[in-house]
Amino acid sequence: MSKVVVVRYSGNGTKKGLSRPAYGVLLTAGMRALSGEKEAKAAVRKYLPSGVIGIKTNCLVRTLNSTPTALAEALSDLLTQAGFDENDIVIWERTNRELKNAGYTLNAASFGGRCLGTDTNGVGYGSRFYSSGEVNSLVSRILTDMVDYNVNLPVLKDHSIAGLSAGMKNMYGAIHNPNKYHDNNCDPFCAHVNNLAPIKKKNRLIILDAVKVQYNGGPGYVSEYVTYYDGVLLSDDPVAVDRIGLEILEHLRKANSLPPLEKVGRQVKYLRSAQQIGLGVADMQQIDVAVLLVDKNGRQTVGELF
Amino acid sequence: MDRRMFLRCLGCGAAVATASQTELVPEFLGGLQNACAFDFTKELSSVQARYYKKLEGGGIECTLCPRHCIVTDLERGYCGVRENRDDVYHTLVYGLPCALNIDPIEKKPLFHFYPGTTALSVATAGCNVNCKCCQNWEISQSRPEQTDNLDLSPKALVDICTHRNVPTIAYTYSEPVIFYEYMYDTAELGHKKAVKSVMITGGYIEQKPLADLMLQLDAIKVDLKAIREDYYRNFVGGKLKPVLDRLVQIKKAGMWLEIVYLVIPTLNDTEAEFKELAQWIKTNLGTDTPLHFSRFHPQYLLKNLPATPKKTLETAHAISRAEGLEFVYLGNVAGHPAESTYCPACGQVLIERRGYRIYQNNLKGNHCSKCGREIPGLF
Repeated sequence: MSKVVVVRYSGNGTKKGLSRPAYGVLLTAGMRALSGEKEAKAAVRKYLPSGVIGIKTNCLVRTLNSTPTALAEALSDLLTQAGFDENDIVIWERTNRELKNAGYTLNAASFGGRCLGTDTNGVGYGSRFYSSGEVNSLVSRILTDMVDYNVNLPVLKDHSIAGLSAGMKNMYGAIHNPNKYHDNNCDPFCAHVNNLAPIKKKNRLIILDAVKVQYNGGPGYVSEYVTYYDGVLLSDDPVAVDRIGLEILEHLRKANSLPPLEKVGRQVKYLRSAQQIGLGVADMQQIDVAVLLVDKNGRQTVGELF
Repeated sequence: MDRRMFLRCLGCGAAVATASQTELVPEFLGGLQNACAFDFTKELSSVQARYYKKLEGGGIECTLCPRHCIVTDLERGYCGVRENRDDVYHTLVYGLPCALNIDPIEKKPLFHFYPGTTALSVATAGCNVNCKCCQNWEISQSRPEQTDNLDLSPKALVDICTHRNVPTIAYTYSEPVIFYEYMYDTAELGHKKAVKSVMITGGYIEQKPLADLMLQLDAIKVDLKAIREDYYRNFVGGKLKPVLDRLVQIKKAGMWLEIVYLVIPTLNDTEAEFKELAQWIKTNLGTDTPLHFSRFHPQYLLKNLPATPKKTLETAHAISRAEGLEFVYLGNVAGHPAESTYCPACGQVLIERRGYRIYQNNLKGNHCSKCGREIPGLF
């Protein structure tokens, strides 16, 4: 069984996204529930024992619906509370332009919490090709050389080709040639991108932001198809967390009178392929889903997925 | 960097040119950053693409190449250099070459196109296929953010040619189809300044953009990567049929055409394939279409294969000649007799080549100096 924790925030009446403290409450509760540890520090260390920690964002859609800076900052707070030095935290994306446009403050220096794109001078992609299936790619040196472990911090949204853009699709931002792997609804390419050795080895935790969800028209921003789910999903299984993300996405589509992704030619096939190559669990019967409802003070009750 | 500064940089490269005959700057400009005062730009262009259509319900369909990528907002096509921005499709590499060099025209190779002249070779990042044998994969399989790009307008390219007496611009190295607009505008401007343009391509382009482009070009060399559809599917990431259709289109348009076939051990090197290839060319393009068999060297994703044995190339040559093709060449085997051009009528050596150098030219205009037979091409 794989475990996915869904933490929903009960106090977001304004529909404007969450603040850094609010995300902090969600992350703390979520990490405790996922790890089974009482203390947040122990919970974090269970997945990220030591070293330099990367935080891979998804900043495609400027400030409209990228990984919120508040979420990345809240995760950095959690890491420092767990004893990581801020010098050992690297927020990253494929380009500096995308980070800046999403509201992040770049810092490519060797001290302080770093925030940089793979296109930063002196970074780039490694010279070694990593292969899995038909995928042959160079991988960002941020992932291969700079960090010891990575937290994947994507945004839940519809994708015009893949059907689902969540954690696995976000790792397209770690390779040099993502445009080559979109045929056939990204299947099985998305699975194989995540099976590339550095990605598979270093991705230890996925925290999927589902506070604001683009349930149709993604991965760009189309305001008429945006809704608020007010939750984050946490797991160490990259397939299972996407599988639950897909359940939520399909539910939101149905609630807004849209057909299932399969009916519009965007069946999410790569999850099954990912399970077949042993990357994680796509079968709902093998996923233990825990849903928590948390208020701004951290009080928890059992919540519902929908 | 303005044109004057760039030309000054080329001037500083002239010492290199003296030493190596033709090379002014390295093919990939990244290696030049510490050697010369080039300015590179990190900015991408935002010029509207010319071949796409908007789709109902959002998104666009690119109609430039047979892939017909459907691209939604903020996404890119397979080539990696065209992006949808609010349902307007943009080329990101207009005026942003990442490779620039002055080459012998024989290097393209074009053997029947003003032999012994040079061409300013230009490329941007990106490609619309993904050949596992690509020798320029560092730029062809990259996005423009990942390459070191110069800011050089079509006018700047043409000015380089006129100032350096380079008669031709070759769009080459990566896949010029993906920088179509830049190529088209440069070629159009070049013609006004008596600078010719040649496209070195895989031929993976749609009929209409090719027809429009040919109005501005002087010659095309097509890499026909195989004569079997499954090779294109497994090792190219494209389809053979559109390439064959475009070859016929080029020939019918009267554009000068030469073909290169890279012979890769175990993948496209059977005698049956060589025969099929020669017969197809003979039937569809004519026996006077030059065919170059090029030797493969292990690289990119095919490092596990050996270099092509010379004997295999000679077999391909013999089969093609036996099928009636009149101008068959071997490439990447410097010093081989099949690098030279022979008169199909009397056997006289017309152009003797070794590597990219020409040692004899026995043509009189377009004719054999011995028997007077007309030789196709532009001489």
